[in-house]
Amino acid sequence: MATIEQDFAPPEPGLSQRLRRVFFGRTATVIATITVALFIFVAAFAPWLAPYDPMAQSFISINKPPSWEHWLGTDQFGRDVLSRMIWGSRNSLIFGFLSPVLAALIGGTLGVLSGYFGGILDRIVTRLVDMLLSFPELLLAILVAAALGGGFWNVVAVLTVAFTPGFARVARATTLSVKQEPYIESAIAAGVRTPVIILRHVVPNIMAPIVVLMTLWAASSIRLEATLSFLGIGTQPPAPSWGNIIREGLANIFATSWPIIAGGLAITIVVLAISIIGDQVRDELDPEIN
Amino acid sequence: MSAPLLNVQGLCVEFGPKAAPIRVINDVNLRVDPGEAVGIVGESGSGKSITSLSILRLVPEPPSRIAAGSITFEGRDLLAMPKSQLRHMRGRDIAMIFQEPMSSLNPVMTVEAQIGEAIMLHERMSRAERRARVIQLLRLVGIPDPESRLKAYPHQFSGGMRQRVMIAIAVACNPKLLIADEPTTALDVTIQAQVLDLMKDVREKLNTAILLISHDLGVIAEVCERVLVMYAGHVVEDADIRSLFENPKHPYTRGLLRAVPSLTDERSRLYQIPGSVPQAGSIKQGCPFYARCDLRQNICAQTMPAMSRHSSSHQAACWVTQNLSEVRSA
Repeated sequence: MATIEQDFAPPEPGLSQRLRRVFFGRTATVIATITVALFIFVAAFAPWLAPYDPMAQSFISINKPPSWEHWLGTDQFGRDVLSRMIWGSRNSLIFGFLSPVLAALIGGTLGVLSGYFGGILDRIVTRLVDMLLSFPELLLAILVAAALGGGFWNVVAVLTVAFTPGFARVARATTLSVKQEPYIESAIAAGVRTPVIILRHVVPNIMAPIVVLMTLWAASSIRLEATLSFLGIGTQPPAPSWGNIIREGLANIFATSWPIIAGGLAITIVVLAISIIGDQVRDELDPEIN
Repeated sequence: MSAPLLNVQGLCVEFGPKAAPIRVINDVNLRVDPGEAVGIVGESGSGKSITSLSILRLVPEPPSRIAAGSITFEGRDLLAMPKSQLRHMRGRDIAMIFQEPMSSLNPVMTVEAQIGEAIMLHERMSRAERRARVIQLLRLVGIPDPESRLKAYPHQFSGGMRQRVMIAIAVACNPKLLIADEPTTALDVTIQAQVLDLMKDVREKLNTAILLISHDLGVIAEVCERVLVMYAGHVVEDADIRSLFENPKHPYTRGLLRAVPSLTDERSRLYQIPGSVPQAGSIKQGCPFYARCDLRQNICAQTMPAMSRHSSSHQAACWVTQNLSEVRSA
């Protein structure tokens, strides 16, 4: 029997190769990747990198401009702004990645289940998602923070709730289309159990849009944490975060503008860098574009 | 007569609301003996795919449901069986191959993982044993250099090779019955011939019974010994391949055979059965082929003919040809 067939498809790039292309494909993404990596490094090693205790007050050096002792100057309590920025990056970054990941887990699960099983579960989830989506994230966050009080975990919870419907909707829509694929039917015909079908055949096929959404929302999440902290319902002072460094700096803007400049720049740079990576991830993974 | 492997009796499948059901499969009888190859032929909408799907209870419920009939496999009633038990039969005793080789494989799983999954479901073996078995299966279905193709993804295969992988998955657990729903429709003619050869090959080596669904009589003639012709949800003729081609008894089958082009054809236009398949549920009484039949008589409009036997291996459901043969034998 003839076994020769001419049309071998050209070898497709493997996952590692594709990831490499995401992070090192263009100059802009290389810079963005390095920037994000640098910030993560700083956040991870904050205790060793920060020159001073971020909480330590000093009345002899208040509102100092940048100098060799204090690279970014000091604030109205004489605390070292650089140290506060370094410690603050922990809150801001953990926050930035935690909420999207949690939301992707919860929303993704809900979306896949409702898309796959349909019926009453689907109706309930869809209505719930529609309801939550009708509130802007920030408004929802303020609402819950006002009810529960501020604080790190409350804000994480709030933003997770705010992000969940988006993931649920994307997961549901892609599950609906993947469910129609013949390979799902053949898996059923082969006797594969439903949970295994969902985990092995559905979930990997809907990951691309979920990952894209996650990277896009990591940036939003950092921005929202800053916003909430700025409004006084995010990370509670004296614990530092970029948002409340700006908040405290604002009251003191005529004495020294360095905290605001540092906080604003850090947020801008990180959000921009994550957005650039997010775009590249989308370009690479989105089947519509490929 | 030996015990049948698969025996479908009086199968009826309905769609739509229970109060006003639309019957798409009507009183289908089907029997496959161990090791036998049976074909089902019919045009789109004749119910051949639904018939094959209902054997493994894969018809989506709702909107459709199996309204009546029995399906037994090795004497066990598949319709009465709990779903969990049925799941163990799927893939192990009865395997299916679908029409779309391009999309019947999961795009994010390697070929090894997908064939391995089929094995893992029904048999316990170690990783190394499983890999050896996968290689053996790939070799069986004629994939060149299987060792180097284990880690390949479906998009790296052509359509014909994907269909080979599908067959490898289907026969992974040595099923007793292989249901192939239009396995060659999406392939070009040379690859079609290769895949059909492969199916015959697999059947010989593993002694698997085959139920082949196709709209192409040529494909069925290539593989099967016996064929069922379906029209509008009814089996209208059931015959061994030879007598079907030489002496078709149902006007619909005759029409189908007249529509087949041949190399010596002088016709400028191929024959065409006038009209089109009636919409499901629109025929309330009489023979479903009545409106398009060139032999029709008054009785055909009123009562659906039962299957009448023309020879030991040939039955057809037609008043006219039934009477003709009775006259001749009388």
